[in-house]
Amino acid sequence: MAAQAQTVSLSKGLSLSRRDGMISAGMLILGAIILLLGRFGDSPADRSTFTDQTLGTLFSLPSQATLYTVGIICFFVAGLRLYRGLGSVRTFLAWGVVFLSAFSFLVWITSGTSLNLPGMIQATLTAATPLTLGAISGIFCERSGIINIAIEGMMLAGALTAVAFASIFHSLWMGLLAASLTGGLMAVLHAVLSIRYKVDQIISGTVINILASGATRFLNVRLLDPAGLSTPGHFAPISIPVLSKIPIIGPILFTNDPTVFIMLILLLVVNYVLFATPWGLRMRACGEHPRAADTVGVHVNRMRYVSVIIGGLIAGIGGAYFSLGQVGTFEDNMTGGQGFVALAAMIFGGWNPIGAFLAALLFGFADALQVKMQILQPVLPFLNVPIPPEFLQTVPYVLTIIVLAGVVGRAIPPAAEGKPYEKQ
Amino acid sequence: MAKQRLSQRIAALPLWTRLVLLAALIILVVLLSKWLVLLLLIGLGLWPLTWLVGLGVLALISTRRGGWPWLKAWLVGRLRGLVVPALAVVTALIIGAIVIMVTDPEVYAALSEGRIGAAIRVSLADLGQAYGALYVGALGNPLNILAGIGQWLTGGEIQPLWSSLRGPSDSLVQSVPYIFAGLAVALGFRAGLFNIGAEGQIGIGWLAAVVVGFSLPGLPAVILLPLAILVGAAAAGLWSAIAGFLKARTGAHEVITTIMLNYVSFRLSAWILCGPLEVTQGTCRTREIVPAAYLPRFLSHPVTLHWGFFLALLAAVAMGWYLFRTTWGFELRTVGANPNAAHYGGIKVGRTYVVTMFLSGCLAGLAGVSQGLGITHNIALGFQSGYGFDSIALALLGKSHPAGVVAASILFGVLRAGASRMQSVAGIPTEIVQIVQSMVIIFIAAPAIIQTLYRLRQARREEADIVFSREAGA
Repeated sequence: MAAQAQTVSLSKGLSLSRRDGMISAGMLILGAIILLLGRFGDSPADRSTFTDQTLGTLFSLPSQATLYTVGIICFFVAGLRLYRGLGSVRTFLAWGVVFLSAFSFLVWITSGTSLNLPGMIQATLTAATPLTLGAISGIFCERSGIINIAIEGMMLAGALTAVAFASIFHSLWMGLLAASLTGGLMAVLHAVLSIRYKVDQIISGTVINILASGATRFLNVRLLDPAGLSTPGHFAPISIPVLSKIPIIGPILFTNDPTVFIMLILLLVVNYVLFATPWGLRMRACGEHPRAADTVGVHVNRMRYVSVIIGGLIAGIGGAYFSLGQVGTFEDNMTGGQGFVALAAMIFGGWNPIGAFLAALLFGFADALQVKMQILQPVLPFLNVPIPPEFLQTVPYVLTIIVLAGVVGRAIPPAAEGKPYEKQ
Repeated sequence: MAKQRLSQRIAALPLWTRLVLLAALIILVVLLSKWLVLLLLIGLGLWPLTWLVGLGVLALISTRRGGWPWLKAWLVGRLRGLVVPALAVVTALIIGAIVIMVTDPEVYAALSEGRIGAAIRVSLADLGQAYGALYVGALGNPLNILAGIGQWLTGGEIQPLWSSLRGPSDSLVQSVPYIFAGLAVALGFRAGLFNIGAEGQIGIGWLAAVVVGFSLPGLPAVILLPLAILVGAAAAGLWSAIAGFLKARTGAHEVITTIMLNYVSFRLSAWILCGPLEVTQGTCRTREIVPAAYLPRFLSHPVTLHWGFFLALLAAVAMGWYLFRTTWGFELRTVGANPNAAHYGGIKVGRTYVVTMFLSGCLAGLAGVSQGLGITHNIALGFQSGYGFDSIALALLGKSHPAGVVAASILFGVLRAGASRMQSVAGIPTEIVQIVQSMVIIFIAAPAIIQTLYRLRQARREEADIVFSREAGA
């Protein structure tokens, strides 16, 4: 990482890293885009109306003024960061700017029409669910020192067995359990190959992806379809009795698919386990400095086995989301690269569950927005062409490359990641 | 020794003479291509015979070189490295057979009625049918080939011979993109780079070549065809060089960036194919390229083998020359062996990363080019065919050596061609091949499994271990 080393001293004696400069530049560009969209994409009379199914109109904003305000906020935060460095609140402010910009984009799209805002937020949360589960799975593996690019394969395998076992036992919950166990089984393969046989962890992950994509299709065509085991139905949303009656928040947070609740609970539990328990500390030590962990009596490879398998179990649940959460059947390659978006969310979130969740929300928002845009068809100013929804689909990938390259932000993986550990 | 002496004699010639010789060789190959291909296909279809002929030739040579001891030493030297790969493939095929047997619905039907003997008989019969179809689909029916040759030699029609050679031809056709993509990954491995983005690069190369192929209809084939090939390769190369550049400049791990670039390219090509370049609404495919841009076929239908196969072999030779006979190739291998030492020795590591990723992308792009110009003549949504991920298996199986990659690719081509017949005849989904391939990768990547399974002695030291990913992440 070249960016870390280079710092520029300012006259006030504060130091400002090159990264600060790049992030500020990114914010400035974002602000400029938003201002341009406001100036040329909207007319002063346009209003963006946000509605709710039960409450009717929630609020209505003048589109152009909102965009101007957000653009100026971007400039302001960027300027502050350049001038003072911002200290401890900078990460918070950076995420704030990102979400405000996302919101302003929403305002621009809905200018002149109305949009169901809670519906949009819920769609975002739903889309973020498999991404978060996948990312947590990745965090478990990578924090213990094993690279996991097999999230996609684990989820895909889970999606298939979820359908099969849900049909056999006539119980969606059994399907969910089976999915989780399948993910765990794939993780066992990954762990044995990369820990016991010291296979390059990327090759091991690739094997699982190839195996999962081939085996799921094979089994689906050859066993599930002929045996009539492919239509178990799907989860209905669960409403938590009292809480779901709260206006706006109720439908968003407390009426959801079971997988969404599982994801939210896991998120809190994993965050607690990783950062507030001795076990979590030991596990992270295995990923950062296994020799040191070994010296104080941690069984590094045993720890890695356990972590990878837990990661697999979680990824399997993410797989069940695809088949049982939405359509109630298995389709070829139905994860469609979401496992890699989860990987992206993990990196974007800095190998941290909460960060990964925020990243997943951002990517999920891009996904939900893309669906909305196919209906609303906003037209780009100047060019007069509608924005292709595929462009928004590339957002997670492009952002990850940018973050990885250290242009904006920073992505530092666990130090000992990818290296097999041998006791001396 | 005579062969070495010959090569030394050729190496001693002045450069222009060697170039003239090379040109003469190429012209000869082009002129004789039809007959060379015929010989190649027959050799592949009647492979036991080919082996026998080969052994006979060896025996002849050995009589001049010291007889049996020389032959034995030569064979052991050549075959020792092949033991683990061969056993890996065989074991993977056995596992594939078991998978076919345990997923047979008829077997379950028999088992549920308590007829265990019948279940075993049914499963074995189904397996025989499946692997029989695999063989015929991939290598043709040897009896038909012999009959075809006999009929042709006795003055009859040549058409039956062509028809009987369809299997071998399909195998080689399938192996063309495999060779290119496998070489792409192997080249990266040599430099310590893991190019996992071949899938996306294949798509970019395919798309670019097809666009050139239909947008310049007036040009003659002599200009249009090379132009389409070069543009396709260069487009994919530049796409892949992004990852090399990022690694060189910022240290961003190429595995993650190439994965992400893969998906960016999938989404962008989805937009292009269903948007600006769509020929009729709702088809998500481009126009057909003009015939001048077709990669010519050697023979008439149903033998679909095209010039892409020779290009692929040429690429393998070129890569071998680049890796082992040029300064840049030496630098590439040095960086792969130890980037710090390479840097200390004055090699520009960053430049090597960028150049290697560019060349690797070019090779992957050629896989797409050969499909676009040789087979489909257009590009449609969902072109992704798994070549990109299989190519990792190929590079491993071929130990990142061009010749090894070619051999592994032909093997995979055989499997793939056979699998389509297996699906149509025995009703077994082609995805069984993916299962077999993933097993092959496991066994190659973890040779300890094979060694324990077959009680092999541990190899003393793998010569020139190839290191894949040195440091993870940024």
